[in-house]
Amino acid sequence: MTGVARLVAMPLAALVMVGGVLGVQVANGGGAFEPLASADPCAARTVTSRAEGMDALTERLVLLGIDAAACRLHVSREALTLELAQPGPRTDEQVEALHDGLLDAVRRMKEEGSLPPASDLVDEALDNADLNRFLELAIRALPDSVIDAALKTDDVLVRTIEDLDLRAILEDLDDEDDLYRQVNAAVTRAVKASLVDRLRELVPG
Amino acid sequence: MARVRRAAGPLFAVTVALVLADSAVVTLALPDILRHLHTTVGEVAWVLIAFNLVLGLGAVPTAVLATRARPRLISALGIAAFAGSSAWCAAAGSIDVLIAARCVQALGGALALVGCLELLVAEYGERRGVATWVTAGVVGTAVGPFAGGVLTQAFSWQAIFVVQVPFAVLAVPAALAVPATPETTPDRHRPALRPNLTLALLSAALTAALFLLVLLLVEGWRHSPGTAALTVSVVPVAALAARPLARLLRPPPEVEVAAGCFLIAGGLVGLAIPPSAHLAWTIAPQALVGLGLGLTVDRLTSQAMELRLPRVRHAGWTIGARHVGVVVGLAILTPVFTADLQDAQVPAQEAIASLVLDAPLQPQDKIAIAQALGRELSDEEGRVPDLHRAFETADLAPEERPAAARLERALDAQLERAATRAFRDSFLIGAGLALLALVTVVVPRRRRS
Repeated sequence: MTGVARLVAMPLAALVMVGGVLGVQVANGGGAFEPLASADPCAARTVTSRAEGMDALTERLVLLGIDAAACRLHVSREALTLELAQPGPRTDEQVEALHDGLLDAVRRMKEEGSLPPASDLVDEALDNADLNRFLELAIRALPDSVIDAALKTDDVLVRTIEDLDLRAILEDLDDEDDLYRQVNAAVTRAVKASLVDRLRELVPG
Repeated sequence: MARVRRAAGPLFAVTVALVLADSAVVTLALPDILRHLHTTVGEVAWVLIAFNLVLGLGAVPTAVLATRARPRLISALGIAAFAGSSAWCAAAGSIDVLIAARCVQALGGALALVGCLELLVAEYGERRGVATWVTAGVVGTAVGPFAGGVLTQAFSWQAIFVVQVPFAVLAVPAALAVPATPETTPDRHRPALRPNLTLALLSAALTAALFLLVLLLVEGWRHSPGTAALTVSVVPVAALAARPLARLLRPPPEVEVAAGCFLIAGGLVGLAIPPSAHLAWTIAPQALVGLGLGLTVDRLTSQAMELRLPRVRHAGWTIGARHVGVVVGLAILTPVFTADLQDAQVPAQEAIASLVLDAPLQPQDKIAIAQALGRELSDEEGRVPDLHRAFETADLAPEERPAAARLERALDAQLERAATRAFRDSFLIGAGLALLALVTVVVPRRRRS
C-alpha cells in the first residue's frame, strides 16, 4: 500500500461507513421519529363515533365543540382537553369558547346534514326523562313525521347548550352522575321549551 | 508458587479490565438500585459519578505513590481494597453506604491499575506488558455495560459486585509473587497533553454512547436489562474488529485516531436519529461507535505513555483523563437529557390525548381509559410511564378489548417516540464532543523554533 493510500484509505472507509449508516437511517425516516403533532383545530375534521343514538350525537357534538373552542382560543384541541381535564376553576375565555364552540358544532352538523331527526332520539330521551307515564306513552305513540315536525334536533341542542351551566360542569368533570343529571335536565327543559314555542307558532294570535 | 506465577499475567489483565469495566458496569443496574435502595434519580447517578470522579482524581497521586513503593505491595493492597469494597458494595443497604463503598472501590482500583501495569511489565517485558495493560483496559471499558446488564438480569444488581471478588482475591497472591522493583526513573517528561485531552473528550462522548443508550433502551423503550445488555454488546464486538481493519489499511496513528473520532461522532448521530424504536436501528450506529472506540482508546493511551518516563505516572494521567472525561460527560449530559425528558411530557401527553379522543371505542370506555391514563401519568412524574397498568385497571367491555389493545400499542409507540426525541440532543452533544476530540487530533502542532 502506498503512502497516499495509507493516508486516505481509513478516513475514506470511515466516511463511507458513517455516510452509509446515516443515509439509511434518514431514508427510513430517521430524524422524524417524533410524537404525533397536534392537528390544526381550525381545520375541518371528520368525526365519527362507535356509539349509537344520543351517545353518538353527544360524542360528536363534544369533539367538534372542543375543536371549535380550541380554534377560538388559539390552542390545540389536545392542549385544551388536557387543561380541562385538570380540576379547578375555568377562565371566562374558556367557558365562552366552549359555549360558542358547541354552538358552532351544532351549526356544522346541521349544514352537513349529519344531525339525526328528533324521532331517532325520542325513545332514548323518554327513557331518561322524568315524565308522566301517560304523557310518555302518548308521545311514544306519535308517528315519526309528527315528532320530526314538532321538534328540530338542532333547536333542542342549541336550547340545551344555552341552558347548561358550563362553568359548573367544567369545574367538576369527574362527577359523571352529576354531569349526566345536569345534561339530562337541560335536554328535558329544551324539549319542553321547543314544543311550547312550536305550539305558539301553530296557534294563531 | 510456579502455578501462581503462570496465572499472574492473565489475572492482572483481568483485574485491569474489571476496574475499568466498573466505570460503566452499573449503568444497566441503576433502575434496580433506585428501586431496591429507595433513592432518587439524582442520588443513584452518584453510584456512577463517585467511582469515576475518585478514579479520575486519584489516578495521578496513586501513580506518584507507586513510583516510591514496591509495585507488588501497591498492587496487592489495591486489589485487596478493590475486592473488599466490591463485597461492601454488594452488601450496601443504603445509597450512602453504596456511594462510600464505590469511592473506596475506586481508590483501590486506582492502586490496582498502576500496580498491575508495573507487574505486567515485570512479567511480559516493557512492550508486551504495556500493550496487555492497554488492551485489558479497552476490553473492560467496552464490555462493562454488557456484563452489568447480563448479571442484573440473571441475578441482581449485587451480583455485579459479588463476581468481582473471587477474581480480585486470586490476583492478590499473584501480585505478591511477582518480584517487580519500583520504577525509580526521575520525572523526565511532561504529561502528553494532546492524547490525554483527546482521551478525555472521547471518554465524555463514549459516556453518551454507553450510558445514554442503555438508559434509552431500559427506561425509554422499556426493554429488560438483559435485552439491553445483549444490544449494547455490539460495541465491544465491533471494537474487536477495529484492529484487523487497522492492520488491513495501515493508516498512520494520527489518521487512525482521527478516523476513530469521526466514527464515534457518526455513530452518536445515528443513535440520535433512529427511524423507529426497533433495536435493529441501534446496531449499525453502535458498530460505528465500537469501531471508533477500538481505533482510538488503546492508540491514544499508548501515545500518551510512549517513551515517557516514569511510565506509571503517565499511565496515571491516561486513567485520570479518561475518568475525568466520563465525569465531565455525565455532568454535561445528565441535566440536558433530564430536562429534555421533562419537556417531552407535554407533546407525549398531547399525542396520547389525540389518540384517545379519536379511538374507535365507546365514549364511556374512552372516559374510563382517559381517567386511568391520567392517574398513571401523574404517578410517574419525570419518568416514562407504564401505560399497561392503565389499560389493565380500566373497566372495559370484553368486546372493546381488541380496540383498547390497539390503542395501547399506539400510545406505547407515542411514548417511545417522545423518549427517543428526548435523548436526541444528548446524543448530538456526545457527537459534538467526539468531533471536538477530532479537532484536537487534526489541528497542526506548533512548530518549535
